[in-house]
Amino acid sequence: MASVRLENLRKEFGTVVAVKELNLHFPDGKFAAILGPSGCGKTTTMNMIAGLETPTRGSIYFDDRRMNDVPPGKRDVGFVFQNYAIFTHMTIAENIGFGLKIRGVDETTIRREVGKIAELLELTDMLNVNAGRLSVNDMQKVALGRSMIVKPRIFLLDEPFSNLDAAFRAFMRGELKRIQREIGQTMIYVTHDQVEAMSMADLIAVMDFGVLQQFGSPDEIYNQPVNTFVANFIGSPNMNFVACSFRSEDGKGYLVQKRGSARIAIDERRRQLLEHHSGNQDLIWGIRPEHMTLHAEPISSDCIQAVVRFLEPLGPKTVVHLRLGEEHIKVIAPPSYREAAGVVQWIQINPQYLHVFDAKTGVVIR
Amino acid sequence: MQKTPTWQRVVRYALVIIVVGMFTFPTYWMVTMAFKPKVEWSTAHGTIYWVPKNPTLENFDTVLTEYRGQFFRANQSSALPSIRSSIIVSIGGTLFALLIGTLAAYGLSRFSVDTGDLPWYVALGRLALLILVLLPFMVLWAWLGIIRYWYGILTFTILGIAADQLIGRLLGRIYRGPTGSLAFSILQLRMFPPMAIVIPVMIMWSAFKLIDTWYGLVAVYGVVTFPFVVWLMKSFFDEIPRELDEAAIVDGASNWGAFLKVVLPLAKGGLASTALFVFILNWSDFLIALLLTTRDWPTIPVFLNSLVSSEIGAQHGPKAALGLLAVIPPVVFGILIQRYLVRGLTFGAIKR
Repeated sequence: MASVRLENLRKEFGTVVAVKELNLHFPDGKFAAILGPSGCGKTTTMNMIAGLETPTRGSIYFDDRRMNDVPPGKRDVGFVFQNYAIFTHMTIAENIGFGLKIRGVDETTIRREVGKIAELLELTDMLNVNAGRLSVNDMQKVALGRSMIVKPRIFLLDEPFSNLDAAFRAFMRGELKRIQREIGQTMIYVTHDQVEAMSMADLIAVMDFGVLQQFGSPDEIYNQPVNTFVANFIGSPNMNFVACSFRSEDGKGYLVQKRGSARIAIDERRRQLLEHHSGNQDLIWGIRPEHMTLHAEPISSDCIQAVVRFLEPLGPKTVVHLRLGEEHIKVIAPPSYREAAGVVQWIQINPQYLHVFDAKTGVVIR
Repeated sequence: MQKTPTWQRVVRYALVIIVVGMFTFPTYWMVTMAFKPKVEWSTAHGTIYWVPKNPTLENFDTVLTEYRGQFFRANQSSALPSIRSSIIVSIGGTLFALLIGTLAAYGLSRFSVDTGDLPWYVALGRLALLILVLLPFMVLWAWLGIIRYWYGILTFTILGIAADQLIGRLLGRIYRGPTGSLAFSILQLRMFPPMAIVIPVMIMWSAFKLIDTWYGLVAVYGVVTFPFVVWLMKSFFDEIPRELDEAAIVDGASNWGAFLKVVLPLAKGGLASTALFVFILNWSDFLIALLLTTRDWPTIPVFLNSLVSSEIGAQHGPKAALGLLAVIPPVVFGILIQRYLVRGLTFGAIKR
């Protein structure tokens, strides 16, 4: 096992900058996810770690060894591709044993190791089946097995579950997490699916346009997003953003909605912070749908008024879409919630979960 | 479903029969003619024999035996050496083209960036510039009188390659699309009529003493069919996801290992159909073999051409017999690889 450290890593394709001065440290034995929308440079980063792409600038370290000039086959990494990259002209056993065969391991050892892996992945009965005939679910298992057999120091997974059907994906998520915890394998997982990243990873690196936005535990990413991009990208349904400006009255601070009349009181610490913020007339308040409650009457002086537009009943919860001034917001309500469109509701905001961002830079103010 | 009117069906089947007849009749005529005695294949007494009346093997006997008889015969020698020659040079040329062409195609497929249309113009400009640069030297060489000698040809060839490299590199600085123009410049080899290059090749080959040798023909066949191999195999390799090579490389394989153990086995259908295509091209070549062989290594098409003399006319019967024999290798080869052929041809045809 090993840790991975990226220092000022940069990758250009012609005039396009895919990864911009990336600094990251994935600790030994942890499960880390690189999360971002497509085209954010996450796969490029992964390919550079594996050695399939050469960085334009910057360094890659495994533990303390610089790996830039080490060829991919000598880096001792396992790589699972999104489209599995199964060798369809071989049997399952040959696929799984490929890495050992290339290394010149003798046949009996290969057979033994393949047997072990097959048992772990429940492929024992299928070892002699031609890999071209497999279902995508089994292909993904074979791809995992092929990478696992060489006992890599670092395991890289590039959206490995995105083509699987929903039930099997959930199952594999659990399995992968279990295997990772059991053997303490350093894993780096690329995904655009926040649920995957949140549910599996110890650490998440959120990227956008080749730039690292935030790196931290799922809890940090979710509760303390550093900017509007991260705040918006994580969470489903996503965070509500309302353009507002800061106002101070009688020594108390308020956030006043720009396209509407909503007003939220803020605490003293925030008031002082915003008082001294130069762009305090151009702010965004952000609050997640799950951190608000709906009431028929104003239960406190902090409640803001909104009108129900429509409901989205999801089973365990209902997403209520409301009109707040001229803006659209979402609030999570219990499944029994059944108010009709047009009904006036009072929203109670949990101030602990209120985020304030600078509207120009998108950076959080806290 | 509406029933098709009778007259339409009649017309349809009549057309089918006519077209099929047009395609199969020459083959039928060759096959039957091979078994006809001379009175039947020649029009000497004015009757056309649609089917052989007295089937005989004498035509095969004529082409396959040497003749030491008293009377004149078109071929003194047997066709056997030419059959041997055809087999050796066609297979050799095919293997040579496959070997270098497949490697080149893999390189172009994996280590290149699609650069659009511009490389065409770059490559064309390069060709034009090359001719302009070399023309004065050609005049000079002719004036010095060394164009006829091997060292004259050698210096001119080296000069040509050097000038081409220089122009290529200069243009490469203006436009960065090296691999795109490379793939295209390979195709350039086929952009002028073969006759135009065969004569210079003949001069070169005579200087290098490669005329009338099997390896001389293999080299020419290999080079001439190389562009087809590159472009066909490149399309097959392009179909194979790059992740497969990458997976093999990450698992510890070298570039060669990934190519030989993963990519090539997956492209074997394409390789088989390319091999057949190139083999047929080599097998049926007449012009190159005619100019580059004399006594020892003429191929079947060249030998067929010799089955004619001013005294007894064209020997159609023996020609048909040898032609029938010449059909066998491609057909057998085709049947052997049929399993891969259909898959290979469709596999390469679909573009993503």
